[in-house]
Amino acid sequence: MAEIAQGLKLFADFKVDCVVVGGVAAGARGSSHVTYDLDVCYSRNPANLARLAQALRSVNATLRGAPRDLPFRLDAETLARGLNFTFNTDIGSIDILGEVQGVGDYQECLQDSNVLELFDNSCRVLSLEKLIAAKRSAGRTKDLAAPPELEAILEHRRRSGTTE
Amino acid sequence: MDKVEYTEAERWLIEPKPGTAAARARDFGVDLSLTVNNLRLTPHERVKRLDEFQHEMKLLREAVRSAKQNGRDSARPKTVR
Repeated sequence: MAEIAQGLKLFADFKVDCVVVGGVAAGARGSSHVTYDLDVCYSRNPANLARLAQALRSVNATLRGAPRDLPFRLDAETLARGLNFTFNTDIGSIDILGEVQGVGDYQECLQDSNVLELFDNSCRVLSLEKLIAAKRSAGRTKDLAAPPELEAILEHRRRSGTTE
Repeated sequence: MDKVEYTEAERWLIEPKPGTAAARARDFGVDLSLTVNNLRLTPHERVKRLDEFQHEMKLLREAVRSAKQNGRDSARPKTVR
């Protein structure tokens, strides 16, 4: 099993409430862009933070881009104090977002998502419309390449009457 | 080689009319024939392909790293005892 599959299984196994956003969500919607990490927007409910921390510890998550000696304890309390975290794990790079720029928090992502069956897991995936909003809002050079294709997909979908 | 047959909706992406989102994507440099290929798949198949590609890239990076390491090792002067 490769990294995306393992990441989605990890969140399903630990019953983490999250919505898949970013490049994997764009890929699921039809984008041909390549991504190297799995981004999810997570619920900041305390019970969910505990499950999320447990899930990440099980794959030896460490902060990506942080000095090796930076003290960091991966638990619900630490996650509650921060918002967006980027990790290296045994199963690849995983980014967890408390808030998605241009969309909002978990509840807002949840509202604009639907369930897709990915690798035998029922995963919530952000809608195409909100992916476009997120990428446009982020405004980073790497994100600016995504909206033109996503908008073309949205146009195609409306024209052909398809949902996925 | 077999000629690829496109549906009318796919042709909208492949040969976009001016002023459409597809035309803007094409002008931006997006290869919409790749997008059409993806849209023919189910969401699961799309993510599976992305996952496989990601995995292959990881293997490639590891192979390059290993080759560089071996190159450095062979370039190092041998210790004479």
